[in-house]
Amino acid sequence: MRKLFRAVCLTIICVGMVTAGDVTGKVSFSGTAPEMPRLRMDADRFCRAAHKTPVTSEEVVVNKNGTLKNVLVYIKGSVGKHSAPKEKALFDQQGCMYIPHVLGVQTGQPVEIRNSDNTLHNVHTLSEKNPAFNAGQPIKGHKLTKTFDKVETFKVKCDVHSWMGAYIGVFDHPYFAVTDDNGSFTLKNVPAGEYTLEAWHEKYGTKTIKITVPAAGKATAEFRYPN
Amino acid sequence: MQHVAAATPAAAGTHHEEHAGFWRTYVFSLDHKVIGIQYMMTALLFLFLGFTLMMLMRWQIAYPTKGIPGEWFALLPAVIGVAALAVGVYSKRRLTLLVGLLFGGIAWLVWWMVSDEVLFPEGIMLPELYNSFGAMHGTIMIFLGVVPLAVGGFGNYVVPLQVGAPDMAFPKLNMMSYWSYFVGGLVMLTSFFVPGGAANSGWTSYPPLADIATTGQTVWLFGMVFLITSSLLGSVNFIVTIVQLRAKGLTFMRLPFFVWAQFVTSFLLLLAFPPLEGAAILQLMDRLAGTSFFLPSGLVISGQVLDVAGGGSPLLWQHLFWFLAHPEVYVLILPAMGIVAEIIANNTRKPLWGYRSLVYASIFLGFMSFIVWAHHMFMTGMGTVISTFFQTTTMIISIPSVIILSALIISLWGGSIRYTVPMLFAIAFLPMFGIGGLTGLPLGLAPTDIHLHDTYYVIGHFHYVVAPGTIFALFAGIYYWYPKVTGRMMNETLGKIHFWGSLVCMNGIFFPMLIQGLAGVSRRLYDGGAQYAHAQNVLQWNEVMSISAWALALFQIPFILNFFWSMKKGRQVESDNPWGATTLEWQTPTPPPHGNFTSIPEVYRGPYEYSVPDAAKDYTPQNVP
Amino acid sequence: MLDFLGLPPDASAHGADIDNMIGVVHWLMFALFIGWGIFFTYVLIRFRRTRHQKADYQGAKTHASTYLEIAVAVFEGILIIGFAVPLWAQRVNEFPEDKDAIVVRVVAEQFAWNVHYPGADGFFGATDVNLVSADNPIGLDRSDPDGKDDIVTINQLVVPVGKPVIVRLTSKDVIHSFSIPLLRVKQDVIPGQVIPVWFEPIETTEHIRVAMTKTYSLINPGVNLMTMMTMQDYVDKDSVVIVPAGSILFPDVVEQLVASGYTEVRAAPETPMEIACAQLCGLGHYRMRGFVSVKTPEAYEAWLAEEALYLQ
Repeated sequence: MRKLFRAVCLTIICVGMVTAGDVTGKVSFSGTAPEMPRLRMDADRFCRAAHKTPVTSEEVVVNKNGTLKNVLVYIKGSVGKHSAPKEKALFDQQGCMYIPHVLGVQTGQPVEIRNSDNTLHNVHTLSEKNPAFNAGQPIKGHKLTKTFDKVETFKVKCDVHSWMGAYIGVFDHPYFAVTDDNGSFTLKNVPAGEYTLEAWHEKYGTKTIKITVPAAGKATAEFRYPN
Repeated sequence: MQHVAAATPAAAGTHHEEHAGFWRTYVFSLDHKVIGIQYMMTALLFLFLGFTLMMLMRWQIAYPTKGIPGEWFALLPAVIGVAALAVGVYSKRRLTLLVGLLFGGIAWLVWWMVSDEVLFPEGIMLPELYNSFGAMHGTIMIFLGVVPLAVGGFGNYVVPLQVGAPDMAFPKLNMMSYWSYFVGGLVMLTSFFVPGGAANSGWTSYPPLADIATTGQTVWLFGMVFLITSSLLGSVNFIVTIVQLRAKGLTFMRLPFFVWAQFVTSFLLLLAFPPLEGAAILQLMDRLAGTSFFLPSGLVISGQVLDVAGGGSPLLWQHLFWFLAHPEVYVLILPAMGIVAEIIANNTRKPLWGYRSLVYASIFLGFMSFIVWAHHMFMTGMGTVISTFFQTTTMIISIPSVIILSALIISLWGGSIRYTVPMLFAIAFLPMFGIGGLTGLPLGLAPTDIHLHDTYYVIGHFHYVVAPGTIFALFAGIYYWYPKVTGRMMNETLGKIHFWGSLVCMNGIFFPMLIQGLAGVSRRLYDGGAQYAHAQNVLQWNEVMSISAWALALFQIPFILNFFWSMKKGRQVESDNPWGATTLEWQTPTPPPHGNFTSIPEVYRGPYEYSVPDAAKDYTPQNVP
Repeated sequence: MLDFLGLPPDASAHGADIDNMIGVVHWLMFALFIGWGIFFTYVLIRFRRTRHQKADYQGAKTHASTYLEIAVAVFEGILIIGFAVPLWAQRVNEFPEDKDAIVVRVVAEQFAWNVHYPGADGFFGATDVNLVSADNPIGLDRSDPDGKDDIVTINQLVVPVGKPVIVRLTSKDVIHSFSIPLLRVKQDVIPGQVIPVWFEPIETTEHIRVAMTKTYSLINPGVNLMTMMTMQDYVDKDSVVIVPAGSILFPDVVEQLVASGYTEVRAAPETPMEIACAQLCGLGHYRMRGFVSVKTPEAYEAWLAEEALYLQ
């Protein structure tokens, strides 16, 4: 019985693969990048010592090629049923900064929250649909594994270091990405069909584009910020 | 416990129990002695649990970066449990089996707590868990351990016997008091399992921290309401029993000092607890109904503006809380003084010195304890007038304490001192309580409190009062009244090992706290102060204290073994009065039957007529004409 | 006596009075305890059963205890009238004038001390809880003319030596307690209230740090080396400086020193004067740690000027 089930699943996936395509694109930024305030880490001697060069806020990061970093791009709404991946998503605290600054995960996917600093961090989620938690990580190398079950994008902050803030987006499908140093994103193996593609930025908010993923091949999209 | 038909006309509502079944006899009993034993056993278990929490915390303080070796902490209860189970199976004793299961359960609980990834991810105790253990250690030790043992346990068992009554005045109220306590205890225990864990805002539960804390705080408040109700029921009962049910001829000035201590204690409980019950309900409203009794306007919690009406005052809680909690200190200490007084008189074979001054001093102490509460709050922004008032009352309250301590020490003069185990604990109480009392002086004066407030000095101070103070007195009471309850003596050698080990370890734990406090180390620090430069010179004491705490646990093994072993195998008493004591509880059969006395006792003299010149024996019981 | 009690070094003008009083109270405590202790031990030995078979019904016929109690009462009276009340009055009533002092606001929150300086104009800008954000922890209104030049730091309280400092304490969230052990300052911070506290530092941080310099073992230091900094340069075998003076002894630095053959280090607390939170305020309570930097007046002015630059 179980074998049969597996076989059926496999077939469905294979069929899905055949009739799926990637969605790629970039998030461009026009105009001059706003100057980000320098983060002063004097409040904690460890944090101050961890950085040799000045660190600025990651609220708006404009890449050299005129694109915007840390934009969460995803397909809006549900896209079929997906079981949670087993591999852990890593959410690290290093040099009193969150790495990554924006993280996308699937519902039920384990998220490993790690403290790589020789100081106390507390991971305080300001989530509304998922149960909020506030967990201390007192020592270097400490790991905490959490899962989120509701679709939501929420802020995570550290009450010990007020400048530390990050965002976690939770989706019930695997079709999401965060723009990188080139401002580009790729959503892999999106089943063919029509979708609303949404981009979210912590300062500039959301934008949507209608896209059609053909049965074979690719779809592209470009978001423009700030306007 | 054998059942002898009560020969005396017992108080209304008790004598129908003679032929009651198992449940009505041992579980839902109305007999003050059974209820007293129920209180005592429950409270001893809670003391053990509260101590276990502290042992885990002490690991964190001594080795803040190392994971907890949970197996080691589970080992002690596991060994006791397995041993008891083996003995139980071998000797087919149900009680021993039960004890074995109980300790096995505790071992499992400890092991589960430590190995469980939710409570201790990667074997590390997190700061929030540390805070929660800290809050629950205080709550369990005070409200579920010491007070129920001293008042509910000893008070219930001994007071009716000492006043010559067949039972408490209101036996059903008495049973209700125990079961209310029991439910309160269960509620507190369940709070460990709610999301976010047990209450973690300290046993003092100061809002706004407690108002915004996780669900455990709500459970804590519900638990407190049950515990307070239990104490109120109990205290009314004691007052009526002592006033109304004294035997013929037992005037107030012939009452044993222990009864006086319980009498004053009952008034403290009756008058001090209602404000806290009110405050607990207000805090519940803040948490559940969105009121803001204790929340001022414009709070910003973790960057978010708190959506409440505001306009409340966090200080209001502190006043209501300490209005209870200062008298509560005397609730902890007065019964202990009572026990010590009984044992000193008995083991010096002479009357207490200054019995009247002891009585008046304890009444005065009780009265004064209601007007010193704000000395816990000198640092909340107090002006000169109010601080002068509370410093003065605080200094005044030290005088009756000095009188009581002096009277007890001077009572030793001219005695023929027997160093029995209860006597060892009772006399060790004196210098230990002395340190506790003296270290209260710099804390009771506002300017010196600037440096010492909320440091380890405070922790050292009140632990000296309560741990080697009150708890030693409670141990003394257990060793002293054990033969009355069971008809057998506890083993002397095991008792002495227990005493000397405990004495050394207690000081190993609490004296370094005074040293750390003078260096300015704050209390309630998850890493024991490792972050702070000013703590570095006294940091190495943390390990000394922790090792002392674990050693203290090892020295409780002889006591636990002794306690259970002696029930069946201890030396049988030759008479109903093995210590040659004068007070009425020893003038009954052993153990006392239902209804207590075989004939109506009549009292002819004071409580401590030892070594009366020209008397035949060196003691003359109160009921001898 | 004070050395014996192990009080931390004192760097404030009023600290000596408090220390003195702690000393006096402890003298009383020791005298009582030792007196009682001697009597107690003597009685326990003299009246043991084997030596004293028959107890004495009367017991002690003395009024010594009454005199002792009167003596204690008198002594306590002296403590209150002679020490406690005047000292407390000085702390809570005799504040210096604002114009003669450095006035700062400290806004406590879970788990940091926000320090608010009025800036060059000497006036604090208005604050509003709705303006609170990660960059603006105290919700300072920069559009308020008084607020334009205000300086806000986190966990950094910088003051000049030899001038009274008035700190106005408030809290954003829960009760904290503002404690600076080396300055003998402690004051609970109650949300919804502004409570002032004052002190006058008489030693610079640098001076205290030098005085606290000690040699620590690198292998088994008995202290948390991460709170310490080196007080001299450390070189490798080629005389290249590997760890300069003023380095914090983080684990990697210690490893580096040990690898170069060092077993000991001359070090002192990096921040000897610290603000400790003394009232349980949540999971980060144990490390809600601020730093007090007492500078020379010139260095203080230079620091203010540097901070003002950040505002532009």
